[in-house]
Amino acid sequence: MSAATQYYIATILVYIAVNAIASWGLDLQFGVTGVLNFAFILFQAAGAYTTAMLSLGPASGNGGFQRYLVGVHLPFPLPILGAMLVGAALSAVVGLITLRRLRSDYQAMVMLVVSVVATVVAESVLGLANGSAGLSLIPNPAEGLAGLARQAQTWVFVGICAVCMLVVGLLMYALVYSPYGRVLRGTRENEPAIEAMGRNATRARMQVFVLGGALGALSGALLAEFIGAWAPSDWLYPETFVFFTAVIVGGRGSVSGVAVGSALVCVGVQQAVQYLPIGGDPTVLASLEWIITGLLTMLFLWVRPQGLLPERRRRFPAAERVLAPGDVGGAVEVDA
Amino acid sequence: MAVFLSALGFGVVTAAILAISAVGFTLQFSVTNVFNLSFGSVMTISGFVAYWLNSAGLGIWPAMAVAAIAGGALSLAINELLYEPFIRHGVNLFGMVIVTISVGLICDHALQAIVGPSFFSYEAPAGKAFHFADFVLTGQELAIIGIAVALTVLVQAALQYTRLGKAMRGLSVNPSLARACGVPTRRVIALAWFVSGVLAGIGGVALFLDISTFTATTGSEFLIVIIAAAVLGGIGSPRGAVLGALVVGIVTEVGAAYWNPELKDVLAFSVLIVVLLVRPQGLFSQLATERAVAR
Repeated sequence: MSAATQYYIATILVYIAVNAIASWGLDLQFGVTGVLNFAFILFQAAGAYTTAMLSLGPASGNGGFQRYLVGVHLPFPLPILGAMLVGAALSAVVGLITLRRLRSDYQAMVMLVVSVVATVVAESVLGLANGSAGLSLIPNPAEGLAGLARQAQTWVFVGICAVCMLVVGLLMYALVYSPYGRVLRGTRENEPAIEAMGRNATRARMQVFVLGGALGALSGALLAEFIGAWAPSDWLYPETFVFFTAVIVGGRGSVSGVAVGSALVCVGVQQAVQYLPIGGDPTVLASLEWIITGLLTMLFLWVRPQGLLPERRRRFPAAERVLAPGDVGGAVEVDA
Repeated sequence: MAVFLSALGFGVVTAAILAISAVGFTLQFSVTNVFNLSFGSVMTISGFVAYWLNSAGLGIWPAMAVAAIAGGALSLAINELLYEPFIRHGVNLFGMVIVTISVGLICDHALQAIVGPSFFSYEAPAGKAFHFADFVLTGQELAIIGIAVALTVLVQAALQYTRLGKAMRGLSVNPSLARACGVPTRRVIALAWFVSGVLAGIGGVALFLDISTFTATTGSEFLIVIIAAAVLGGIGSPRGAVLGALVVGIVTEVGAAYWNPELKDVLAFSVLIVVLLVRPQGLFSQLATERAVAR
């Protein structure tokens, strides 16, 4: 296989992993718990910037051509872990403002506003993360490995992403299909009922908001390390919508479904557009990607709102112990 | 003081544009309960209709009138062909938000694919400059303020005194009761979409006149400020939308004069967040509870 082909395949694999992690983060919030987080991309961006700041070294490095906060050089897993912490902390702050008191439609709108404000701040406050030019030369942890060819280093990074995806995937399974996952789904489906059962719906929302924010940050961290650059144009507020489409196409609340949906929507659509016989005008191609994403969302909401691989509806054996003799038995079907 | 007054002048112009659009956005929301995130695209497309007419030699004010009708027609068509069927198909409130974002993105990017990524501007003289103490406003800006005042008063009066306005208010409080009282809900909803589109069209042309250069995504970018104004006043309340527009417009422009102009929107959004922390339902809205989508 030629080096170019290898690199192409590696890139696709990295993007599949990164987007799956991000889509799972959003799925936990929107798919499982029903929180419309229109600022999701902000947390990916927070992760990307944090990783950059924790791995680039002092801002005076590289001739001091870019300005940013912090500026230290930490060894491999630390920038990513730091990114997740910052993502979680930022989520906690945004969540405290929006989730506690506001109506859920207000929550969605305020998050949209927060997402735009964050972009404006990042663009205009130069000292924060180098303004609209963004940060570049973000080191890739695999490129520090001595004694490995460049291609092998790329594959090491693919490995890192794959491990992250696996860990997050297993975590998602453990969470979503546990009793705790039931509380989350209950919050989505019927908040008064879940509160009557003695569970705190607001706390559940807050928890998935923070956890999803950390996952978003993780995806941003990996992405920034892979492409080596991160700028405000990478996280304009409509980008969040791509992950919503991934969740809807895959099947909201379904762990495997969302992984498939994110591969199809976040990676597949972009690749497919490149092969369309419509010439290479980059504006038209970018526009077409958005149009296809929008059409896919509407198509799925109309034809198959449950998504490609729907959330499992579990059947529990008949509740004999609950029902009095003579009552109609059979199975009880619930969302589980 | 001079700086403050001239900033105030700009603020009133921004507030006028915001008020036209925010009233359109909030009126439709109060009647149908659909958060219409394609509103910005209707503004942009109407703005481009005016641009094409203007390039063909039509004056900007007649072009604005045609754009208003185009905006109304587009808004109505989107509702009848897409939103209404989706609602009847059983898509819930959150689903509808996603549908409206999809429609907005499709409209914006279809337009972008046609007109390209370049910047456009109207051929329109700014008009004579009028001095009021330290305020300097052009004839064009005065016209925009006049249009905004006339439209908001008209909408408020229509809501207060006409049968249609009463039907709209009834629908926004209790759709099933309104239907039971003989309000033709479908027709009233259709009219709300049309009026909202007309206001989007006028607001779009006014916005493009004011900022002088625009692209295929300008309307959607401005939508966030409109939402901030509408939410600040209490979503669903046209009076609140006007108040929110004044606060957001004046705060942004005065902030721009004294602080970093690039951060002027941040200031407005911070006001929004502080207000929501103190009064989560917005300044004017009485509606503390959520409602389902009106059918």
